[in-house]
Amino acid sequence: MAASSTTGRVLTLCKQFQNAFRISSTINVQSAALGLSKCQFQLYSREPSPFVAPSRCSPLTSVGQCRALHTTISRRGLDEFFDLSDNWGETTVKSGAPWTAKQLRTKSNEDLHKLWYVLLKEKNMLLTLQQEAKRQRVQMPSPERVRKVERSMTRLETVVKERETALRLLQTGEEKGRPGAWRRNVFGYVYWYRFKEYAIPWYMNKRYKRKRFYTPKFVQPHIRLRIEKYLREKARKENLRRQTQAKLKERFPQMKSSST
Amino acid sequence: MPVTRLLYPLYQLGNPQLRMFRPNWFLTLVRPGKEQPPDTVQFRIPMEMTKFDVKNYLEKIYDVPVGAVRTRIQFGSNKKRNHLNQKVKQPDYKVAYVQLAQGQTFAFPDIFPPKERELAEGSMEQMQEKSMEDEKQRQKLDPRRGGVTEWFGL
Repeated sequence: MAASSTTGRVLTLCKQFQNAFRISSTINVQSAALGLSKCQFQLYSREPSPFVAPSRCSPLTSVGQCRALHTTISRRGLDEFFDLSDNWGETTVKSGAPWTAKQLRTKSNEDLHKLWYVLLKEKNMLLTLQQEAKRQRVQMPSPERVRKVERSMTRLETVVKERETALRLLQTGEEKGRPGAWRRNVFGYVYWYRFKEYAIPWYMNKRYKRKRFYTPKFVQPHIRLRIEKYLREKARKENLRRQTQAKLKERFPQMKSSST
Repeated sequence: MPVTRLLYPLYQLGNPQLRMFRPNWFLTLVRPGKEQPPDTVQFRIPMEMTKFDVKNYLEKIYDVPVGAVRTRIQFGSNKKRNHLNQKVKQPDYKVAYVQLAQGQTFAFPDIFPPKERELAEGSMEQMQEKSMEDEKQRQKLDPRRGGVTEWFGL
């Protein structure tokens, strides 16, 4: 009897191990979203408080250690567009604070990637709820959640961008992700031109060749006039300011002269 | 929401389809206005999304088997006028009808069910409710008269 029970235990352990392996091997860009339940566990177990909707985390955290290995993919499907059914018909739903950039900076890239999908689903759920509330002309429960999720997402975005920029600066030394160059247009203005992909080479591309990235000779006087206009405008404003100051000084001798 | 403007590679015939990588598209599942077949789900989607995007989005992120997707663009009304008698335009949006595969069905649930509110003992609302009920009881006719009006009889 005892022997049979031990073998059974060993078998179940093996099965759990296999499951864990299967899940961990399928992490790539496409299926990262599917393994969300697993990532939720990781995120919550480290910091339970700051996530927007703590209502979602309850089923995972209650059970002991073996849960970290043995997780099943969430099979809620389209029900994920709705809140948990306990929250239906409530006037308020509790939610935590949005993620701050400081908290997000401590996370790994993989965690951030997974968190994005968690937030995405949350926002979809909230938008659905909002629309349905609008349609039935009732008040949406806790509408501030939308704002919180949006804030978390923008912060996540900034953190990801920061990392990308840092990496790019290290590897290529370029500040911007999209290549470009300073170019001059027909009117003599210099601007940052961002490069773009074309299906045919530039010398065959009529549309591209129609663009003029040079300033003709006869525009020079106009550029000069433009500069002149700008300078005169500046001088006029300066004069006006000085005159008003002088007048004020005359009327109110005790007045402190305002800083320039 | 300011999310990085992604520059998608130029599509040429035979290139792979776009991947769902950290998309900033948000779908809204809506209750269909006109009755739809039981396997059809209606979404409001951003204008930039295509049918293929919707299919990929649902299959990769939500793990929902998708059979077919049809889309249309809903014209937002511009009939309304403001206080200066100018036309005010409601924004357009794209609507996607998603047919589920593998014989799945979907019905929009009632997410605002009327819930019984538990009133606190001795609160203002409870007292008000009680007084209302008492008043109703007082207004009721004598049941022994069997519904005969008051002005009839002695």
